[in-house]
Amino acid sequence: MDNLARVHFPSSLREAADLLVARPGARPLAGGTDLLVRHRNGQLPDVTDFVDLSGLDLQKITAEDGRVVIGSGCTMTAVATHPLIRERFPALVQGALQVGAFQIRNAATLGGNVGNASPAGDTIPCLISLEAEVRLFGPAGRRAVPLADFFTGPGRTVLQPGELIEAFALPDRRTAGAFLKLGERRAHAISKVSLALSCWEIAGGRREVRLALGAVAPTVIRCRKAEELLSAAPWPPSAELADKARRLVTEAARPIDDLRSAKEYRRQMTGVLFAKALEQVIGRGASAR
Amino acid sequence: MPTPEPIHIRFSLNGKTVEARVAPGLTLLELVRRQFSLTAAKEGCGKGECGACTVLLNDQPVNSCLKLAATLRPSDRVVTLEGLADDPLMKRIQHSYVEEGAVQCGFCIPGMVVSSYHLLKVHPQPTPAEIKEFHSGNLCRCTGYTKIEQAVAKAAAARKEGR
Repeated sequence: MDNLARVHFPSSLREAADLLVARPGARPLAGGTDLLVRHRNGQLPDVTDFVDLSGLDLQKITAEDGRVVIGSGCTMTAVATHPLIRERFPALVQGALQVGAFQIRNAATLGGNVGNASPAGDTIPCLISLEAEVRLFGPAGRRAVPLADFFTGPGRTVLQPGELIEAFALPDRRTAGAFLKLGERRAHAISKVSLALSCWEIAGGRREVRLALGAVAPTVIRCRKAEELLSAAPWPPSAELADKARRLVTEAARPIDDLRSAKEYRRQMTGVLFAKALEQVIGRGASAR
Repeated sequence: MPTPEPIHIRFSLNGKTVEARVAPGLTLLELVRRQFSLTAAKEGCGKGECGACTVLLNDQPVNSCLKLAATLRPSDRVVTLEGLADDPLMKRIQHSYVEEGAVQCGFCIPGMVVSSYHLLKVHPQPTPAEIKEFHSGNLCRCTGYTKIEQAVAKAAAARKEGR
């Protein structure tokens, strides 16, 4: 990486934001597992500076004011092994554990996975199924955006120049859930299709259900019709209802043909992943109180 | 493009505090190989998939080809395979690899045994699934993985028996 001119080590978010605004060739550097590869491959010819975020105290996971707040610098390993996360958010644990392989998960961060805004980013559907909001810090101050509204296209987000992802805030509640992905192999594969299902108890023996799909649209998408159907009926859903929800999930997918997979296969597999996820969650129903 | 400014770093390498001046784009892998002549870790793919460059950073296996040397901090502890040369567990692992015929060309092995070492530190008696999982980031293009997995299981068994 001889075309890299400088690495900056800000000690505050303000300093990091100012650097990013002042230096158009600067990019924030977190775990580096994606950024360094792309930079080395010449895919980022305009990037001359990295702004290292590791000194900004973004590696914490805390419970505060009814929310679990996960710092954007937490690694996949840190997320997947944290007691608060393991107890409350099984879909996120499963998602974090399916990113890359062992060594990658010790470096790659949640903020990086989301910030890259790949429609196939594995933690994104998990976080959306848990109604995460993303907390941003920028030259104009702090703001929070529902993660479902954060992405505007493949690799594109609502982030303004100089704005950084500070943390993710998830409603603090026990959920049941699952994350399933289909890839060429278990480790390292970029998802052809992925699906996250999270649910939590509400009144009347029902569960609020959230479903998000990865790699089948320009951004990760929610399946609102299937969510509504499953949330309105007593839990667990009947076989008939589950089948109806499966059809709605399949219809929500808007996949494309690309080098990783084919449109029709993706669409079919979306339904298969949904059925498997539901089965997993119903089987584990006792853990969600 | 402006001339890259060298960055001064200090960190712990195989138990000793070391200092270096590094170019902004230099990776940890390039640093240990070129400036410290620690050549066990290798560059295979250069993009974090093959694991031939695996080292321990603060006790966790990472791909050293994807870590910028400039971002190392004084509190960071890097251990390469050379730093484990006299470690009884690493010796046991290496012996088991040889006994099981788990090594062919050998290129992947320095990274592979570092992952084995981490596994047996965390799970002294691993399940077959854990053995696979902890080596998921290490590719071997010669042997397949059966003998490597057998070697790791053997090292765990030998350790239990106190050999």
